[in-house]
Amino acid sequence: MNKRLSITLLTAPAMIVLLGVFILPMLLMLLLSFQDENQAFTLQNYALFVQDSFYVEILWRTIRVSLWTVLATLLLGFPVAMYMAQATGKMRGIVTMLILAPHLISVVIRNFGWVVVLGEKGWINETLMKLGLIEQPLRLLYNELGVVIGLTDSFIAYMVLAIATSLYAIDPSLSKAASILGASRMRTFFTVTLPLCLPGMIAGTTLVFSLSMSAFVTPALMGGTSVKVMPVIAYEQIMATLNWPLGAALAFLLLGSTILLVTLYTWLIETKRYKEVFAS
Amino acid sequence: MKKLNVLGLITFFVLVLVNLPFLVIIPSSFTAAGYLAFPPEGFSFQWYTMILDRPEFIESLWTSLKLATVTAVLATLLGTLAAFALSKYKFRGSGFINALMLSPLTVPSLIIGISALLFFTRIGIAGTFTGLLLAHILISIPYVVRLVLTGLSTFDYTLEKAGYMLGAHPFRVFWDITLPLLRPAIVSGMIFSFLTSFDNVTVSLFLVAPDTTTLPLAIFTYMQETLDPLVASISAVVILLSLVFIVLLEKVYGLERLFGLNSQSH
Repeated sequence: MNKRLSITLLTAPAMIVLLGVFILPMLLMLLLSFQDENQAFTLQNYALFVQDSFYVEILWRTIRVSLWTVLATLLLGFPVAMYMAQATGKMRGIVTMLILAPHLISVVIRNFGWVVVLGEKGWINETLMKLGLIEQPLRLLYNELGVVIGLTDSFIAYMVLAIATSLYAIDPSLSKAASILGASRMRTFFTVTLPLCLPGMIAGTTLVFSLSMSAFVTPALMGGTSVKVMPVIAYEQIMATLNWPLGAALAFLLLGSTILLVTLYTWLIETKRYKEVFAS
Repeated sequence: MKKLNVLGLITFFVLVLVNLPFLVIIPSSFTAAGYLAFPPEGFSFQWYTMILDRPEFIESLWTSLKLATVTAVLATLLGTLAAFALSKYKFRGSGFINALMLSPLTVPSLIIGISALLFFTRIGIAGTFTGLLLAHILISIPYVVRLVLTGLSTFDYTLEKAGYMLGAHPFRVFWDITLPLLRPAIVSGMIFSFLTSFDNVTVSLFLVAPDTTTLPLAIFTYMQETLDPLVASISAVVILLSLVFIVLLEKVYGLERLFGLNSQSH
């Protein structure tokens, strides 16, 4: 069979799905976001965002919640990745399994589990009340804290994976060399290990940030009606208000601001790193 | 060993945290009480038998299983074919096609869901099983392509050549040599597609109609109205089903490898 025909036949089915269900619909959505109710071209769906502090506040809340999630996944995930890198054979396998397997089970169900734990009559509150440590149940759910807990649980696996991958790639003889040359364990960590796994940390933080920004299910289930984030607002515009152009514009604004922030962040880190390299 | 202690302690804490949802759901589903509580009160199967009285959950379970199965088969077929072309031939635009195949992963599900809804409404398949299926195939293709491409990257084409030289028909070569060698990659692509489809909420959310609701979405909707042990028993069923596939995935391919972690140390 001729090569060109083979390539076409092999890739065509998948390409048709990609173009038909992904590329074309996205273009249509972009077009729609610039339309008003009479289908005339307009910037009002985007302009609304600049004029109305309501939407700015929601975007800021989305960013804030995502940043807290990045911080939590980094602080909790880094030690896990370190542990995995130092553990051997069987132990590493067990830890990997226990951190990855939950990630493959529906986020709705994991969120539900957290509701049982964190609710007003949840496990934590009931226990603390019984112990007499608190009189009123703590509000752990249906606020930003609840959303951050849910998102951290959802995305910590990504952070661990990204950091572990770069830790695995570090040549162990480097730390050995550092300690032979008399560096303390702390010093070895900060001058050898940490800089070398920076790419993994950048990958992990950007990934978790992007995922948190566009997360819908967790904010909807663990944030309640008072903690609305951009994806929830976009969803409501599409499915409840039926203002599709505005919903589309909100979704693109979210995507745009995520890309902008991630680019800015990686740019800042890269320049800072080069400065460090050239300064020393 | 001493230096591992702090790390080990934090790791243990994190592992408990990420598994905590399941540790509370399973016991809660066996409660004898009429309300959600942890630790559960008493022991009974009443919330499991209660599922049988809720046709909407049973129906959505069937929809989900059907959807995930068909998605897994078709996404694996489409993705595997494309991966073959990308790996076997060097051609202009292969980089572009490769990037395109993986791109649904980089775009938020929210946008995929909204855009699919807008387009499907125009062509009249919004709310149908077909529409849902197409979207699920789309989000599964990247995983299949990536897995099969990885499998093909270490594939030894001289084995195929040997088959030809010994006089085998191309189909026989494919069936007896190529396919068995790639089976782990292809099978894990299929299992992963199944799980992706079975657990998806954000894309499905925009595409379901009352009669095509999937199970996670039925739970999502129910949870927003009521929180009772029924959610726990249904969730327990989903957890069990997912676990079967996760264990399969681990056996066939290994989770570490699946997620791109170095497996040299094993």
